[in-house]
Order: sequence, then C-alpha cells, then structure tokens
Amino acid sequence: MDVGRHPNIHLLAYAEVEKVEGEVGNFQVTVRQKPRYVDESKCTGCGTCAEKCPTVTSDIYNLGLGTAKSIYKYFAQGIPSAYTIDAVQCRNFQPGKKCGVCQKICQAGAIDYKQEEKILDVPVGAIIVATGYDLFDARKIPEYGYGRLPNVVTALEFERFLSASGPTHGHVYRPTDLALQASLPEMKKVYQKAEKALERFEKHFQMTSESFYLRYESGELRGKDEDYYQWAEAVQAYRQGKGELEALQERIDRIESAHRLAFIQCVGSRDLRFNKYCSGFCCMHAIKEATIAKEHDRDAQVYMLAMDIRAVGKGFEEYRNRGATESGIHYIRSRVAEISEDRDHTPIIWYEDTKERVVHHLPVDLVILSTACEPSAAGERLAELLAIELNEFGFFKTTPYPPLDTTRPGVFVCGCAHSPMDIPESVVQASCAAARAAQVLSGSATRRLAS
Amino acid sequence: MSGNTEEVKKPDTREARIGVFVCHCGSNIAGVLDCEALTKYATTLPPVVYAKDNLYTCSEAGIAEIKGAIEEHGLTRVVVASCSPRTHLPLFKSACAEAGLNPYLFEMANIRDQCSWVHMQEKGLAQEKAMDLIRMAVAKATYLEPQQDIESSLVRKALVIGGGVAGLSAAGAMADMGVDVVLVEKEPQLGGLLRRINRLAPRGESASELVQDLVKQVRSKTRLKTMLESEVAAVGGVIGNYEVTIRDHKGTETQEVVGCIVVATGARPLQPDGQFGYNGRNVVTQIELEEKLRNGSFAAQHVVMIQCVGARCPERTYCSRICCLTAVKNALYIRERNPDAQVHILYRDIQMYGVENERILWESRGKGVRFDVYDVERPPVIQEDLVQVYQPLVGEVEEIPYDLVVLSTPLVAPEKAAALANLMRLPLDQNNFFMEAHAKLRPLDFATDGIFLCGTARYPATVSEAQAQGLGAAARASTILFKDRLVTSALVSFITEQCDGCALCLDICPYYALQLEEYEEGNRIHKRVKSDNILCKGCGVCAATCPKGGVEVKGFTQKQLSAQVDAALEGI
Amino acid sequence: MNRDVLVIGGGIAGIQASLDLAEMGFMVHLVERLPSIGGKMSQLDKTFPTNDCAL
Repeated sequence: MDVGRHPNIHLLAYAEVEKVEGEVGNFQVTVRQKPRYVDESKCTGCGTCAEKCPTVTSDIYNLGLGTAKSIYKYFAQGIPSAYTIDAVQCRNFQPGKKCGVCQKICQAGAIDYKQEEKILDVPVGAIIVATGYDLFDARKIPEYGYGRLPNVVTALEFERFLSASGPTHGHVYRPTDLALQASLPEMKKVYQKAEKALERFEKHFQMTSESFYLRYESGELRGKDEDYYQWAEAVQAYRQGKGELEALQERIDRIESAHRLAFIQCVGSRDLRFNKYCSGFCCMHAIKEATIAKEHDRDAQVYMLAMDIRAVGKGFEEYRNRGATESGIHYIRSRVAEISEDRDHTPIIWYEDTKERVVHHLPVDLVILSTACEPSAAGERLAELLAIELNEFGFFKTTPYPPLDTTRPGVFVCGCAHSPMDIPESVVQASCAAARAAQVLSGSATRRLAS
Repeated sequence: MSGNTEEVKKPDTREARIGVFVCHCGSNIAGVLDCEALTKYATTLPPVVYAKDNLYTCSEAGIAEIKGAIEEHGLTRVVVASCSPRTHLPLFKSACAEAGLNPYLFEMANIRDQCSWVHMQEKGLAQEKAMDLIRMAVAKATYLEPQQDIESSLVRKALVIGGGVAGLSAAGAMADMGVDVVLVEKEPQLGGLLRRINRLAPRGESASELVQDLVKQVRSKTRLKTMLESEVAAVGGVIGNYEVTIRDHKGTETQEVVGCIVVATGARPLQPDGQFGYNGRNVVTQIELEEKLRNGSFAAQHVVMIQCVGARCPERTYCSRICCLTAVKNALYIRERNPDAQVHILYRDIQMYGVENERILWESRGKGVRFDVYDVERPPVIQEDLVQVYQPLVGEVEEIPYDLVVLSTPLVAPEKAAALANLMRLPLDQNNFFMEAHAKLRPLDFATDGIFLCGTARYPATVSEAQAQGLGAAARASTILFKDRLVTSALVSFITEQCDGCALCLDICPYYALQLEEYEEGNRIHKRVKSDNILCKGCGVCAATCPKGGVEVKGFTQKQLSAQVDAALEGI
Repeated sequence: MNRDVLVIGGGIAGIQASLDLAEMGFMVHLVERLPSIGGKMSQLDKTFPTNDCAL
C-alpha cells in the first residue's frame, strides 16, 4: 500500500530489466514494461471483466490449485490494483478468434487490446537486487512421489490450502477428496441427462420407465420397436448413473478433513544430490503450518520428520516447543526413504527413527514436503545483465564484510536473492541494502575487505 | 462575505454539512450490502446534505467525486463508508485537504472489514449493521473540529550506544550519509566481542583484521565523534530532539542533542558456573577457547565440545543461534593445524542454518571431527579424564577421554542492559534482550519512535548479521533524520479544566507522555497534568481512566463518542 | 552522480528497501516482473512466530 502511494517510488510492475550499462553513480538501465492491455490509470479494479471473461485458466497465485480467468488480478489486494490480460490464454489474442467481452463490459473504458510494450530508460546511481527465490521441484526425488501420488503436496501449496483466500477457504482436505467433490457436478449432469432421456421416452410411450422395463425384461416388448431397445439401454444407463451418483455422494458425505499430516523436511536441501545447503526457514515454516492446521482442526495429528530442527531465530525455539506442547506435533529425528500409497491413495511414509534405531512405516492423510529454497531461475540471466557473479550455490556472490556488496560496485543484493532466509532477516537485509546504496550515493567510496 | 464573485465563500465549519460516500468496493461490499439503499438512508440523516455511492471510492474517479462534491455543495464534513481506515485514510484526508477542507473533518464507517466481509452469510443483519455504522459515523462527524498536524524540528544527529560490530557499522554508515554521529562505548577500546574472537565463521577470516578495519573506518570520518570509557547517564526529550547526558569514567558529563538513537549494546557469553564441571582451566567456554587459540596457549590433544550448555533449557528457553557454527569453526581450525588432535562435538540439533554454514559442517566431518547426538534427558557427564555420554543413535554409553572440554554457552544480555532499558524506557523480552517493535516486519525499530536496535543487543547474531543489522538501523534512522521536519498526528490528548492533578493517568500512559506540574493561583499551589504532544500517540488510555473528564483525546472526545453511542442505540 | 536507485524485485525485501530509500529522500524505481508486488509473502497465510496475517 505504502509503496503504491509514495511520491518517491516509481513502481514499474509487469516489467523486467533489459539492459544495464555504466557504473556506480551513473548506470543506464533499460526496462521493458509488458502490456497488460489494460490502462492502469483508468482501471478501478472492480473485477467485472474477470467475472464475465469466458476463458478459464489455471490460477498461478494458487499454484494451479484453483482457476482464474485470462483477465485477472494476481491477488485481490495486489498493488497495482489494475487487472492484466494474459495474452497467451486470452482467446481474443488467438488467431481467428474474437471475443472482446471485457472491453464491452468495462465501465471505465480501461481495456486496450492495442496496448504496446514500453521501453523505458531509467538512469540510476545504484542498483539493489531483491529478486527472491524459486522452490525446488520435488519431482526430482521420485521416491517421494510428488507429482505421482495425489496426496503429496509442497509446503507452499499447503499454505494455499490453509489460507482463507485460497482454493479451499482454509479447510485442509486430501487432494483426492477434493477431486471426488469436484467430480460431483459432472456426474450429476450425466445423471440428469439420463433422467431427461427417460422422460422423453415416457412421454412418447405414455408409460413409466419402471413398468416398461419390467415388460421388456420379461421379453414382452422385445423386437417390437427399435425405440424400445434404446429405451431399455437408457434405463440401464440411468440406473447405473444413479447408483454411481449415490455411491459418490456417500463417499463425499464421509469425507473428513485431512487429520493425519506429515511434514517432511529437507526435500532437496542438505542433499548431496541437489542442494547441499540448508534452506534456513523451512523448519519454522513447517512448524507454523502445523500449528495453524491444528488450530483449524482440533483432531489433527501432526508429525514432523527432520534431521535437525533449525529454530535459531528470536522466539523460534519457544515457538517450536509450543508446537509440541500445545499443538501436539511429534518431532521425529529421521530421514525419509520412500513414500508410497495404498489403494485409497493414503500416503505411507517409510523412515528410520534414528533415536529408536527402527524403521517405521507411517500412514497419513496428507504429506507436506518442505522443498528447498533455490536461486531464482532468472538469476543467471540477471547476473549476466548486471555483469555480477554467481557463487557456487547459484545465488549472487557477495562479500562477507560489508555483507551485501556484489562483485560490481554499486550493485547490492538482499533477501532470498542473497541466500535463503526468513522474513525478519529479509527486512534487515533490505534496510542494510538501502544503507549501502545511500552510503555509496553520498559520495563515500565503497570499502570492501579482500575476501 | 463581500459581494465579489471572484471570492469563494468558504462555509463555516462550525455548521455540519455532511457528505456521505458509500463505496461498493467492487463486489467486496456490494456483494453483501445494498449500497444504493445505504446511500438513500444516509440522505435521511439530518446533517447530511449530499450522499453518493461509487464503485471504488479510493480510485481516481472516486477521489475526484469527493473533491467535486466538497466544492459544489459546500461540504464541511465528509464521511466515507468503505473499508478500514488503515487502508486509505491518508488518501481520503489528502483529498479533503486538496479541496480546501481541513483533513481532520473526515470520518470513516468501516462497512467492509467490520461488516460485509464478516457477515457474508447474514445479508439482512449486515445491512442493518451498515446503516448503524453510517448513522454513528455521521453523528460523530457532526462534532468533529478542524485540527492542525503537529510539526516539530529535528536535529540531524544520531547517538549510537555501543562500539561493537553493529554499533561501528551503524555509526559509520550514518556518517557517510551525512549525519553527525556520537558513538559511546563503555570500554577503553572499540570492537566489542569481536576483539576476543580468533577467526570468523564460515570462511575463517581473521577477526582482529576486521576489527582494525572497522575501527579505522570509523576514526576516519569527520562527522563521527567517538567517546570511549563513557556511558549514557540520562535520556530526555523526544524523537528529533533527544537530550542525552553522557558520563565518562572520570565523571565528566557531556550533553548532546540528537534526533535518533541506535542501541547496539551487545551481549556476553554465559559463564556456566556449576555446570558440567566448569572451572575455566580444562573445562572452558567457547570464548575462552577463542582466546587460547588467539594467544597461542592452546595445546590440547583431546577436545570434547558440548552444545546447548545453559541454553534451550527451562532457565533460558532460547537457542543462541551461533554456538553450533562457532564450535564447528573452532573444531575445523584445531584439526587443520593439528591433524593428530581429536575433536568430538556432542549436540542436540546441529544448527548450521543457511547456505554457507552447512558446507563447513561437511568439511569438518571430512577432516575428522566427530559428531554425536545426545538427548536432553541424558546429558553428558564430565568425570576426571573422560566424558560419559549415552548415544541414542548407537544405543550405548560412550566414554570419551579428554584434556579439554569446551562448553558452548549462549550469549546473554549484559548486566547493564536492564539499567539502560529502564533509563530509556525500552522494553526487554523474557530473556532480557531488547524487544523490537514487531518481530517480523520491524526487527530494527523500537515501538518508541526514533530509537533503533541492532546486533546482539537484540538477539545472538553472527558478525555478518550484526553488521547487516547495524547498517539496517542506520537506514531506518536516516528515514527520520533526512526529513526537514517531523509531522505527527494532531489527534493527541489535551487537558481540560476538570483536571485536578489526581495523576491517576500518569502511570498508565504507555508512552510516558504525561507529567504532573504545579502552578500557583490565588495563593495556592494547584496540580495539573501536562501532556507531551509528540510522545502522545492518542491511544486514549488516560481518557478512559480519568474519573473527572480532565483529559480527552482530540478526535475522540466525550462529546463525539457519546454522539456515536447515542446513534448506535437509536436503532434499538 | 545520479542519486536515483533501481530496485529489482517487489517482494518483501524489495518493498522494504524501496520504502527506506524513499523516506530518506531518494527516488526509487521498483521493477517487478509479476503484475503486482508482494512476492512469495503474499502467498502465505500467516507468518511465524507471531502467527500474524501475512498481508
């Protein structure tokens, strides 16, 4: 909010840095701002366009767990509050198709299909890189089943489940149960269609389907009319459909929220095959998610399978202790070997409890993988653009003292672009980067120790 | 008043001519409430002369409507029924100001966060509540009075308390940015804990080189005055003009006036007297080990390090963050210089968080440092020449011979921290570390404006983290120090004639904004409370406490609040 | 010397850096690749250890 209104902040959203030349105190930066096809100054964010848009797409904010439209707002309270058209999905931009519903319906006249990208020159004295991180793709560990076993999700996906603004409005269900619920409308349609088909026959033949079918079964009406055969087929289809619908409804009625939750730590971190380092915040993140899940569901049984529990920040050890005493989290010092599932898609975790020195298998309702914090995929390109180096882990290389200087004077890095860290650390680093930039722009030389 | 048509006649603000704007907020409000009906309802309220609903009052179009209506209809009060004031209050106030209306003649009714969002399932009742809220806002608005923001000057000067890594970094950065700085350090030299450390984790640089470099930098800055062997004796005043008394070891006092203060008073390693046979000779702490490594007196061949001594326990529930990497760093250092030396680390969780630390853990394992887990219920036992410990991963008790046991103890708050906290009225947490304004989003700010926190005074941190925090605090302080003047809200407390100086309100003010003063009148000494405009945050606790109506808060006076309550009860 | 600053990335770090610099009097150009700022934190429900709402 404050960013959008501040007179000293020029916000360029939906934009990327294209080129950087020059040196500290005198960088010439070129920024390419992509076209939203919506005039930011006119859009009031009312949302009518999205309501009426006929093209349904995957919701990237909800990590594909929900749906969105091809004209969308990334999230409700986003700044800028203008909408954006995804030109790849929007049918109006596909050859041959014409839509234009949003333009017609927009009261503010903000839709502009002809909007073009803007190339802007942004001369600056210092640059701060705060591009964040990407998450490890858990499919690289096939034995954990992510992408194959439906009830295995990542921590960020689980976050969306927990959120009131997420696809399940804060209820924690097994994805297989959600899929069951989602299949109901379709099955209802099939049933209703079959019902309607029967009604047509009943009207035509002035007979109930039951009495018809009895007579047909006994052989009385066979061969007398081609339509009788169709009708019989229709009755069979109807009965089957009804049975399936009732069975599905019964299963759905029995659905409970996912009570047994297991958090698997260090997925892709502290792993010689992938990232050797520790991702810093995932232990705390998991404990938090476990605590909130327990708040939402008093019957939740939560397990956390970890090697070491890194609760090193202020207030964290106490939070972890409360996790055990108040939320009943079972902390198990272990390494998970494999996750399989039974016929009901119930995940089963195979792990060694190192303190008991026993191998266990643990069936749970939902597995949450704490995936590693990795350097942003855009990092390499950005490093090239900015002519700064990456370190051996793929994050931007910095000096230790002072901590955020990159290999190019005047360019600083902060937050997870620097290395995995939690929110207070990111905020501290951000203020530190601001101080470094201010120091450098106030004319003092950049001082760096030989590293 | 004159017949000149060029002059715009400003309406008398004592007369309430209220304009009400009901926001649809897209479907956030309109999806639950009937905004048109609410607008119609507003027009039935006596002081309302104009009412309009719009899609997004906070949009350009909405703001333009407010401004236009103020001018066209001579509005003297504006009520917006929409979201929480936290979202757009400043925006709406600016709109009023731009249209020539005092921005304090503005009131909001929260029909979104407190109505449509929380009563989505009960539309009928929600509609009634929204009507109540609008009626209440209109009633209060009737009694609003114009106010002026409070402006005060500030001194572009900062005080940094503590000359360790964090303090040196903060002081140096602010000086570079153009702020005059006074750095106060109680020891005879700068550097803090860094002076006692051998090498830095995780890369192994020399700590003394870093200290020298930092001190040299600080000494080279002309705007920076360093006062060694000195302490802060008293702090008065407010943000922008803190009056500080600094006393040196001879007792000489200096007065300084500064705009902001940075607390960087550090921490000290715990000395675990009575635990694990600590004796300072062959059972020592990590800091004592560092000193041995620095001065060359280290000669042990069999070292056992024990983590979490005096930490993560009932007396001190926290994890001291840096002890694991300190132990690994030192273990690696020992092994690298003497491959025959045995080093064994006994730990509960090995806290090598982040990107680089994990690497030295692997390295140290590769170089032969041994690691074993111990259970908190069965801690190691130190005997004459060996450490006895149950190892859950193996299921057996192991006996490890030693000639040096190193206990990794937590950093704890220095003894003088409590006194300084008291002096400056700063909060401490249950572990006596200073408490920041918000654990997540304001880790370097105190709740008191103009005072900042960095380094191990806040919580155990590595040298690199302490430096980042010091620089961060410098940035935070500069956001204030580079303003030309400070502007604070007009909605603060004021003392009425009813005050008889009973002083019930003094102690409960969380901002220490109230004082008792005496004055003479008619041959008698009277007492009366005085309120500091800048310290006061308008929280209202004093007004709620006072039994005589002797203190009230502007914008929330008895009259205004009574009107709101009456309006609320009208519906019943 | 140009005293403007470019901040690349509108997550919590980019936002904090921008606000600090802006309050200090510097002109900040904040570039964000997504249609709105907020980053990963906007996708979080609550944050540890206070369990505050992430927004």
